[in-house]
This record gives sequence, structure tokens and C-alpha cells, in this order.
Amino acid sequence: MSSAELARYSRHLALREIGVVGQEKLKAAKVLVIGVGGLGSPSILYLAAAGVGTIGIVDFDRVDVSNLQRQVLFATADVAQLKTEAALQRLLALNPDIKVIAHQVKLCASNVQEIFDSYDIVLDGTDRFGTRYLTNDACVILGKPLVSAAVHRFEGQTMTYVPGHGPCYRCLFPEPPADGLVPNCAEAGVLGVLPGVLGTIQATEAIKLIVGFGEPLVGRLLTYDAMDMRFGEFQFTRRDDCAVCGIKPTITELQDAPELCSAEMLQHVLHLSPRDLQARLDDPTLLLVDVREPHEYRGGFLPESINVPVAQLATRLDELPSNRMPVFICRSGARSLTACAIASRAGLQSVAHLEGGLLAWAKQVNCLPPEL
Amino acid sequence: MSCTVKIASPLRSYTNGAASVNAKGASVTEVLADLERRFTGMRFRMVDEQEQIRRHIRIFVNTREAKQLSEHVAAGDTVHLICALSGG
Repeated sequence: MSSAELARYSRHLALREIGVVGQEKLKAAKVLVIGVGGLGSPSILYLAAAGVGTIGIVDFDRVDVSNLQRQVLFATADVAQLKTEAALQRLLALNPDIKVIAHQVKLCASNVQEIFDSYDIVLDGTDRFGTRYLTNDACVILGKPLVSAAVHRFEGQTMTYVPGHGPCYRCLFPEPPADGLVPNCAEAGVLGVLPGVLGTIQATEAIKLIVGFGEPLVGRLLTYDAMDMRFGEFQFTRRDDCAVCGIKPTITELQDAPELCSAEMLQHVLHLSPRDLQARLDDPTLLLVDVREPHEYRGGFLPESINVPVAQLATRLDELPSNRMPVFICRSGARSLTACAIASRAGLQSVAHLEGGLLAWAKQVNCLPPEL
Repeated sequence: MSCTVKIASPLRSYTNGAASVNAKGASVTEVLADLERRFTGMRFRMVDEQEQIRRHIRIFVNTREAKQLSEHVAAGDTVHLICALSGG
């Protein structure tokens, strides 16, 4: 270790649990971070600061001005730049002694093994369920430790998987939400500082695993609620019937899962506000399709709307006349967006949904439905 | 019999944004039924048509996982509704 390194990492070297040996382990370590977003920003900053020798970053997106509220890695001048390029410059400015490898690709089944093979530990900071499950499955199959985290509005959760030592992410949540049950990814929002807390915990876990001290979050789900300012801890065990790490795994090859709520899909959806829809209620080219459950529909619905629960939509699309554009309606605007995704994937060119659902309708138009 | 229910973030649209609500019931089944009476549609987000807890949902009574809906709930318990999140 050089004199410059002794000075840079002096606070680590003073820790008995790290010391020179631990710092050398950090220097030799190769960590891959999936997604340079709200979670990835703080995690890779701390990994770089800690002297992790090789940091890989996977992202295909560009910096958007709306990212800056939480993605503290980037500056205003980085807007429109590729995230991987902006991140590389920022990390090397922080620590020129490390190596940063940019993977400017969308992680998928065909490239995941080639990318993962070069790294010791994976940090999952993606914002898509499909990538989240692919990352978990790849880590199990390839035997890589994984630190997973996710956020939604004011809440976050994180866990660590160590091959052979505990349950994986699928043991915790065997499958992603089915159609119609996903949160509204377009409108959910997130408290900017929230992923900062979770991403920092991910970096902490990675450093502990590399150096070999402390108790990792293996078999423990750590939850964080910024609203109540509370952490929670919930223990879970490996499932014998886990599809990827169980006794008889059914996932033995990596496969892409369809993305339900991708940004590309959302671009083709017509978002109608309650006022927009009210103005077009007599438009014969529109078909109002209420995708709530029948018992919810019976509690109050818009005139002329038909009821096709979102769980049945994929098999009942032929009931929708081809000369009318479906306007999907639900309670809050989440299931209707999922319905748009299902219809779009099935080939419908024009689909719309009621933004904010019937809750927004009741508030803005101030009429039916009476009971929600 | 009253307990506290901690609501997962994606389900809070049903509870007008409340992170925590009180509910009545001596089992998870009864607690979810009480929630459904007050927050229509919420139960379907957690329990499927086969009356199984959905595979992206975990329910804990205090720190004990409720693997079945019949899990006992005592007065003063806290029921945690935990949902897989995807945001990053």
C-alpha cells in the first residue's frame, strides 16, 4: 500500500475490523452495480470512496433533470449525458486509483452471465421487477453474493443473499406482482433522500462481505419507513420449493421476464385526466372498460362502462371492438395502466387510461361513482 | 380484539395514505376482512382467488410470519403487510 493510499484510507486502517488487510481486500474486490439511479448513486459513491478496486456499472439511460432530486451522483451539467459516462467521470474524480467499467446496456438474459462473470458481488438498484428477478436468478445460478434493495414513495427494503448461506430474493417474494397488482410505477413518486438511505446500506453490506466482518442481512429483510422514521427487521428462511434455489429448481436457465410498466410502453398510452374523459364521454370511438373486480364495479361505475377485471383481460381482449379505443378505468389508476400494458403487448395500437382512476374522477368531476 | 396494521407503501392508496391503521380480528383472515370492509378492494391485492397470500406479499404478526391466513392475532399485536417493491 502506497503512502498516498495509507493517507486516503487512514480512517479505515484505524478500524481493527478493516486495517491494512481489509483495505487490500477492498482494493482487490470487483463489485457490479445494476442501475445508476437513486440506489446506485450513493452506493457507488461510497464504494469508490472506500477504495473498492473495480466497480462495474450497468445502465443504458441518460441523465434526466428529474433524476437530480435523488441521484446525487450527477450534477446539473450532466443532464442528457449517458449515465454510465457521467458516473465514470464522477467516480474517477473522487478516487482516481480505482477502475470503473461502464456496461452501457440493458441487462437481459443474453448478456447477464457474461457481465456477472467478472465480478465478486452484485448490488441490485434497478427499478424494474423483470431485471430484479433476473439479477437474483443469475446470482443464484452463478454463485454470486447479492445485495438487493428497492424503494417506493417513503418506504424501502433491503436484503442480502450469500450463496450457500441463506435464502434468495425469490425465497422472500417468489414471484413479482401479477398483472393488475403492481404499484403505479409512473405516478408513485419517491422521497429523494429515501434511496440514499437504502443505497448506503447496500454499500455497507458489500464492504462487510468483502472484508469479512459483521453480520450481513442474510435471511433478514430490513425495512425502512421514512414517514414514521422506523426500521423493521423480518426473518425469512430458504424455501424448499424456491424456483431457483430450492430442492428441485425449475429455473435453471436465465430468462427475461416481460416488463409490465416500461417507460417505452407508457409513451404510447393516452393519459386522460378526469376532465379530459368527461369532455369525451359521448365520443363513440371510445369504449370505457372498468378493470376492477366485479364487487368493486357494483359499488359504483361510470355510465356505459363495461367490466373486465384486469386479471381476465388478456383472455377477453376479443370482447373489445376493434373500431373503438379502450379507456381503461380502475380505482386509483394503477390497474388501468397495467391493462394498457396488457393490451399494448397484445397488439392494440391505441389505448388510454383514466389518470388517477375513479378516486380522481370523484374528486375532480364530483359525481359518480358514489362508493369506492 | 384490536390490533395495529402496518400498511405497505403500495397499498396506502386504499387507506388514504395512512401507514398504520387499527383493525379488529382474532386471525389474519378476520383482520383482512375488517380492512376490506373499510377499504374496498384492498384484500384482493394481498390474497388471490385461491385464498392464498399472493407471492409478492408477506404478512408478519409482530415478528412471526403468517404463512396461512388462519394465523392467530392477539389483542395488541402488530400485523405487518409487506409488499415487494421495484423502485430504484
